[in-house]
Amino acid sequence: MIAWSRSRKFLLISAFVLPTLIGLLIFNVYPILFSVYTSFTDRNRVRPLPNCEVLLTGILDPVCWPVFEANRPRGRGFYNPQEPPFQNYQDVLGIFFQPESLTALGLVAVCFVPLIGVVVWQRLPVSRSIKIHPSWLWGGALILGVALAVALNVQAQYSTLEESGDFFIVMFRTLVFVILRVTISFVLGLLLALILNSEHLPGRTLFRVLLFIPWAASSLAILIALIWQFLFRDQGTVNQVLQAIGLNGLPWLTDAWLAFGVVVFVDVWFSYPFVMIVILGALQAVPADTYEAAEIDGASWWQQLTQITLPLIRPAILPAMVLTSITAFQIFGSAFAITGGGPSMGAGNPGMTDFVIIYAYKQIFLTQNYGRASAFAVILFIMLFAATMYSLRLTRITKGAYDA
Amino acid sequence: MNRKPTAPVLALQYVILIVMSFVAFYPLWFALLASGREGARLVTFNLTGMFLPIEWTWANYQTMFFEKPLFTWLRNSLYVAGLTTIASLLISTSAAFAFSRFRFWGREAGLIFMLAIQTFPGVLSLIAVAQMLTALGLYATHEGLILAYTVGSLVFSTYNLKGYFDTIPIDLEEAAMIDGAGPIQSFLLIALPLARPALAVTALLGFLSGWGDFIFASVLIPAPNEMRTLVPALYTMANDRNVPWGEFAAGGLLVLLPTMIVFLVVQRYFQGGLTVGGVKG
Repeated sequence: MIAWSRSRKFLLISAFVLPTLIGLLIFNVYPILFSVYTSFTDRNRVRPLPNCEVLLTGILDPVCWPVFEANRPRGRGFYNPQEPPFQNYQDVLGIFFQPESLTALGLVAVCFVPLIGVVVWQRLPVSRSIKIHPSWLWGGALILGVALAVALNVQAQYSTLEESGDFFIVMFRTLVFVILRVTISFVLGLLLALILNSEHLPGRTLFRVLLFIPWAASSLAILIALIWQFLFRDQGTVNQVLQAIGLNGLPWLTDAWLAFGVVVFVDVWFSYPFVMIVILGALQAVPADTYEAAEIDGASWWQQLTQITLPLIRPAILPAMVLTSITAFQIFGSAFAITGGGPSMGAGNPGMTDFVIIYAYKQIFLTQNYGRASAFAVILFIMLFAATMYSLRLTRITKGAYDA
Repeated sequence: MNRKPTAPVLALQYVILIVMSFVAFYPLWFALLASGREGARLVTFNLTGMFLPIEWTWANYQTMFFEKPLFTWLRNSLYVAGLTTIASLLISTSAAFAFSRFRFWGREAGLIFMLAIQTFPGVLSLIAVAQMLTALGLYATHEGLILAYTVGSLVFSTYNLKGYFDTIPIDLEEAAMIDGAGPIQSFLLIALPLARPALAVTALLGFLSGWGDFIFASVLIPAPNEMRTLVPALYTMANDRNVPWGEFAAGGLLVLLPTMIVFLVVQRYFQGGLTVGGVKG
């Protein structure tokens, strides 16, 4: 291939790459362009039809293409680009960029400054010379953060932010969900992997298979989620067991916080096996001599865990955790099947488990607010794009075979 | 971590394992019990009935097989998922090979472009895709769904396979080139056979994602009942007014068990296929 002419090389590479490229252009790029355009129109349930006179609509909306002259829609209900153009974005973001909301956000962020300060401190070289025990640092930061929270009346700030529009609530709840889910499944996966990694456990293969089941079932997540939904109903298994041991049943699916917890629980159920397997694989790559050497030096199991195990498995599990986080953000099936978007938090407000994708799905298919939903999608896309670009720095995925 | 743990620690480990295994396994067990019960009203269970099979009938399975079009749904799903796997393997292996082996002008940009495009949530592009399929005359057909699924899995497959190709030393192909092999030959005769584990993993994951997908299938093939795939059909069944729980559980299990068995059999290759592939640190 070295001595080929440029045109021949070009043809060959095209042959390899072109089908993918065309597929992506048609089914990925075009919908994005269309969504971006729709986000600047006032398309919704009462105005679903494209006004083909407008240039961009005529180009982008398939209904307007000359092929379908015969099916050109008639009647009322045409959508047009909006005046002012950013109206949809303003509706979605609400008063987010108004001074009140920004101050509120700033004040909430201030409460996290002590914690961030501790992290930064531990990275600085000066911290090696000044010996402060970590627990003092973290405890002090925590107390300071809580004090700030009370002093700045974070509660009120949060309410202000909540009223600033759907975007903040949905995004915040999704972030909380992602953090909870990733943390809990990591801890659980780590615990189980550590147990399964020990050689003195007869029958551990059986347990490994059993524990792996939830991930095996995750391709049909919706169906299993329906089963979980039944188990958590008022007359479902969980409540019946509770009643059998004398406690009262809880309204798992109708109370906002409990429903959130149930969704987190089910999602952890689906995702811990993946983490467990990845950690197990990474653990088995750690040579046993390291642990023996540490024991000779008198390290306790906690020190072994935090100083040896975790740092050594970090390169292997970090990409997996990043991947888990990004997919957690896009959760739809299981949460939708369990709560359908969550116990309602008031008319016109997003439900408690109305995570990002579920909220968008409802906006598109139920209220058919295409314009707004597209604005939401575009904002979301920008955020996810930025996050993915950043995570690329953590995994050097774009290397080719010729790079080192 | 290599000392034999003390008895209380061992007991604790077993307790954790047993509890977690129970939690992991119970939903399936429950579905099994539910599928063997007469009648649609699960709420009439007593507590024991939720854990032990106190009655068993095959009536639900019979209904699902012979009265509801379970076989049709099964066939539809197999067709869609199977063709998706084949198509996506064909397209993404060639692209992955090119991205890994060739040096061309848009290579890095192309990779980043693919990753960027992928971050747009698929759900939100559904409308545009549906309109595009209507324009192509493929709305509410299986072929349209296959098209949508194939493209949806392209980026992930390409990245995974490219990662695996990267780990195959290029010396083999260079040796072959000295002997006169062209790039297509080295692709078909050297790279592909060596990449079999990654191909298997990618094929399986692609198949499973097409098999169990709900949103795309429910939007792109809303009706009639005979054309629908398994998961949306079962989901609709479970959301009726009179939920036929026994039948739903029976149908669900019939779908779940083969999927899980396949998954469990192949999972030992996952560590190789996944961690060596796209997730390499």
